[in-house]
Amino acid sequence: MRSFDVSDCHVLVIGSGGAGVRAAIEASPHGETVLLSKTLTGKGGCTTMAEGGYNAVLRAQDSSTCHFEDTMKGGAFLNDPALVSALVDEAPARVSDLLRWGAVFDVNDSAEVAQRPFGGQRFPRTCYAGDRTGHEMIRTLTEHLATTNVNVVEEVAAISLLSGNGRVCGAAGLDQKGELRLFSADATVLATGGGTRVYDVSTNSSSGTGDGYAMAYEAGATLIDMEQVQFHPTGAVYPYDARGRLVTEAVRGEGGVLRNGAGERFMARYDPDRMELSTRDVVARAIATEVQEGRGTPRGGVWLDVTHLPPEVIEARLPVMLEQFLKFGVDIRSEPMEVAPTAHHLMGGVQISPSAATCLPGLFACGEVAGGVHGANRLGGNALADTQVFGRRAGDSAGRSEKRVVQIDRAQVEVIETRLNRLYEGECDPANVRRTLQQAMWHNVGIFRTEEGLKLALAEVCSLSNLQLKARTALQLAECRTVQNMCTTASLIVRAALLRPESRGAHVRRDITQNWDATSSPYGHTFISTAREGIDVRGSAT
Amino acid sequence: MKTIIAKVSRFDPGRDEAPHLHDYTVEVYEGARVLHVLHAIHDTIDPSISYRYCCGSGQCGSCAVRVDGEPVLACMEEARDGMTVQPLDLPVVRDLTTDLAPTLRSVPFLAPRGDAIVLPCEVVEEIKPLRSCIECLACVSVCPAMKVTSFTGPTAMRQEMRLTLDPRDTRDRIEEAVAAGLFTCTSCQACWKACPKEIAIPGKAIERLRAYASTRGFTLPRHREVAALIRETGRSVTRTAPGFLEEVPIDNPPKIRERGVVGFFVGCMYNLRLPAAARDAMEVLSRNGIRVVIPPTQVCCGSPLIRTGQTEFLATLKERNIDAFVTRGISRVMTMCAGCGTTLKNDYSTPFEVLDINEVLTEHDIEPPAHLFLRVTYHDPCHLLRGQGIRNQPRALITQVADLVEIPAICCGSGGGVKSGNPDEAAALGSRRGEAIAASGAEAVISSCPFCEFHISGHTDRPVENIASLLLKGYRTADERKGGR
Ligand SMILES: Cc1cc2nc3c(=O)[nH]c(=O)nc-3n(C[C@H](O)[C@H](O)[C@H](O)COP(=O)(O)OP(=O)(O)OC[C@H]3O[C@@H](n4cnc5c(N)ncnc54)[C@H](O)[C@@H]3O)c2cc1C
Ligand code: SF4
Ligand code: SF4
Ligand code: FES
Repeated sequence: MRSFDVSDCHVLVIGSGGAGVRAAIEASPHGETVLLSKTLTGKGGCTTMAEGGYNAVLRAQDSSTCHFEDTMKGGAFLNDPALVSALVDEAPARVSDLLRWGAVFDVNDSAEVAQRPFGGQRFPRTCYAGDRTGHEMIRTLTEHLATTNVNVVEEVAAISLLSGNGRVCGAAGLDQKGELRLFSADATVLATGGGTRVYDVSTNSSSGTGDGYAMAYEAGATLIDMEQVQFHPTGAVYPYDARGRLVTEAVRGEGGVLRNGAGERFMARYDPDRMELSTRDVVARAIATEVQEGRGTPRGGVWLDVTHLPPEVIEARLPVMLEQFLKFGVDIRSEPMEVAPTAHHLMGGVQISPSAATCLPGLFACGEVAGGVHGANRLGGNALADTQVFGRRAGDSAGRSEKRVVQIDRAQVEVIETRLNRLYEGECDPANVRRTLQQAMWHNVGIFRTEEGLKLALAEVCSLSNLQLKARTALQLAECRTVQNMCTTASLIVRAALLRPESRGAHVRRDITQNWDATSSPYGHTFISTAREGIDVRGSAT
Repeated sequence: MKTIIAKVSRFDPGRDEAPHLHDYTVEVYEGARVLHVLHAIHDTIDPSISYRYCCGSGQCGSCAVRVDGEPVLACMEEARDGMTVQPLDLPVVRDLTTDLAPTLRSVPFLAPRGDAIVLPCEVVEEIKPLRSCIECLACVSVCPAMKVTSFTGPTAMRQEMRLTLDPRDTRDRIEEAVAAGLFTCTSCQACWKACPKEIAIPGKAIERLRAYASTRGFTLPRHREVAALIRETGRSVTRTAPGFLEEVPIDNPPKIRERGVVGFFVGCMYNLRLPAAARDAMEVLSRNGIRVVIPPTQVCCGSPLIRTGQTEFLATLKERNIDAFVTRGISRVMTMCAGCGTTLKNDYSTPFEVLDINEVLTEHDIEPPAHLFLRVTYHDPCHLLRGQGIRNQPRALITQVADLVEIPAICCGSGGGVKSGNPDEAAALGSRRGEAIAASGAEAVISSCPFCEFHISGHTDRPVENIASLLLKGYRTADERKGGR
């Protein structure tokens, strides 16, 4: 048996994005809390990358009922109403927490937190810190974390949840040297973020590989609505190696115009009323259609143009975009940007209750890894709010868990070790497997789906999952496990997509015609666990 | 696709004694960044290569490395064929991965009062520029003061300033900053130039903290003495002999046909400590047709006050200096001291143009000096290289006279009031320069700043000379060679 340490704690939080740090802060007063992440704290994940903002009802003219309705409508009524209520009711208090701890949000002339309009919302309720809102949040949270007793363990990748006596009781991880590290805990919070890196083109950070979905699934948790993948309409196409990098919605908000390769403002054919300011799913589908039907740019995108705006406006309102594109050799003041859809967000995930409990005792989940809050389509600005509301709830619930004597089952550790040791004997290069998977997902499980394409993808994902990956050194073990997690997450997405026989929100089945819309759909959540899978049908108990 | 050959530093602490460079040839797409070259190496050649990254879009600060010696974000910097990629100059964990955690933990954090107040607009606007830090630690990796003292460093100072501005914070950040080494910063500007977010830490944080420290009585005794001297005499150094300004005429027409006129802002050091170099410069200018006007009413530029945070008397100095040149109708003012040049260019708003002597002498071809069979090295003055962006001009002049061997551009330790306030630190940095000079094999050291020249000469056995003096030597030798013929 390889050598390993066991660290015991009351609460183990996995993931140090907005949700994980918030959970750890909340859990800490209840007992020893470990915050484990595969990156440096605050540097990993997508929270740092969020630009646009955080939705919260802060003004008398706005109301949480309105926020609730907007969120449900945006989510094609697939959202879990109890979770949405919690989100809209508590988002404002969580902004206050951030303000108490030092956040520097933009303010308006009346000395209130400033709010900007965002797609699909009837009131401008998106709070922001310039175009680096998520960065401001994570800086504030990590600063506040430093004032607590949380034990921070960095650059250790969790690879499996541990269980005993019918409960989740910690996790196993690999450190930077490839050594196994074990953590036992009375309660475990999963806050590993999203997984759209399973696609060839994605906005996500390197840690968006879906580890949390895979670990939860393997431990027996139920995941819902995994087919619901949000494609952001505007991702960069150049340089090719950095494809998918987010081009913020604010570009269109400020008046950016979309044109196809022939110079036509094609949105007139898809949504003549709202044009470029239509919702994300509509714009993404329009762009994809233009490109697929041969009306794209030479690099396979469309043009997004702000050159008609005065240069000062661009400099003042879109400084980060200007800076990023200049670095990539394009001056957006005088040249159009080339953009195409990019995989952005997983709305589905581990099923949770309003207290962030999963169906597995001892396991809580929050942030993007959890499902149900955003339904079939997430509104811009709701994910950051989600990290804070459910991060706090998960930390609180985990902290209140009963203290017990946790014994790690050696047999389980041996299974994990055997699995790791097998990686030394494999023969497939993980980088190749990753690339093949990403291509299969992008081409067959993208914006437009058919049963045939999905089945093709499922077959490919299954065969990739069965390959024996090769770790050349201990350092590569974590990479191999990540690729295995990507395969698992991808298979969950494809299986769920096959389970939903309708177009709903972000999930578009081209081969199905239906005579209902989101409000009258007979279907509820898709659900998958190791024990069962299916789709809720209205009126029938599941 | 295109081919890129890169040298990448590899280091396995368990196996290697020291890092070594390894050549890799990879295929990447047009426009690929340094990070994509590393990915290609990882995916197609050697999966054991270790480097950090996360966001891939310049937002998380995980990926800073040195490319051809300069700190950059790997995810934003375009890959160049033939580039050398090394870790930041910080403790290396493996290959390009450095140990960031200890420094990240030493950055101070807000001690909240506990109420969720919304900051006033002006405060938000003031804090914002200090808040865009992504903690990549490029600045820390280049900070000379951190290498020889226990200074917590530029990004920690940035944070101290941000906390000072925040009414929600409860701690005495000024006292904390002073204890953390506020006065060890040499004002070298290296942190600012290395910062991918272009945060001007020396001016926007350190000098402002020093100004607060001054009102709180934390100013170092030597700095207070200098300030008193300036107030009394208009000069930052004592007069031990008649100064340059007392001995030169106001108007100095050139020996040959006039090609241009400059006003000469002499500065305290050339006036009272190194007047010989100033005289050499006058002769070089004259031989190149430049008329030099030297208003005698000019005083100290105020740099020693600004850098140490004692700004009360500054306005008076500025007014007197601007008047001295404006009343004589001068539209181009030349500085020879890098520190004065930076101050006039960046801390004043002058109705005239300010140029460094290296700029003046490279505007047109100069009279060719003789090539002396001499191997020299050039020490970049911080306030010339980073303060004024002057890098190529001095080299263009030096190479007309001598053979140049390069040494890395690192602060000598004489700036920011460190030489007077923290002499041990200044000496430690000076000795490091001395070692670099010795290792270069140069026979002489050339610079273009009186502080650097004066300080470095105490830490090397090679002669240290001003660039103007070197040029003049070239002219004299040319004269001799002509005369001899
Ligand atoms: C470019 C971009 C812009 C966005 N803009 C907005 C916006 O303006 N408004 C908005 O509301 N939402 C936005 N979103 C969405 C939002 O940022 C995310 O959904 C949210 O931040 C997710 O937070 P999180 O805490 O769940 O996960 P993350 O912030 O992604 O953090 C995940 C953490 O888990 C760790 N981790 C992952 N796997 C493991 C493992 N196996 N072991 C240990 N640790 C692990 C990672 O290291 C990381 O620390 C944006 C997303 C992107 C990609
Ligand atoms: S100016 Fe130079 S010495 Fe001062 S903090 Fe920056 S790098 Fe360090
Ligand atoms: S100040 Fe600039 S260089 Fe220093 S850590 Fe912050 S972003 Fe990096
Ligand atoms: S990878 Fe985040 S800044 Fe480069």
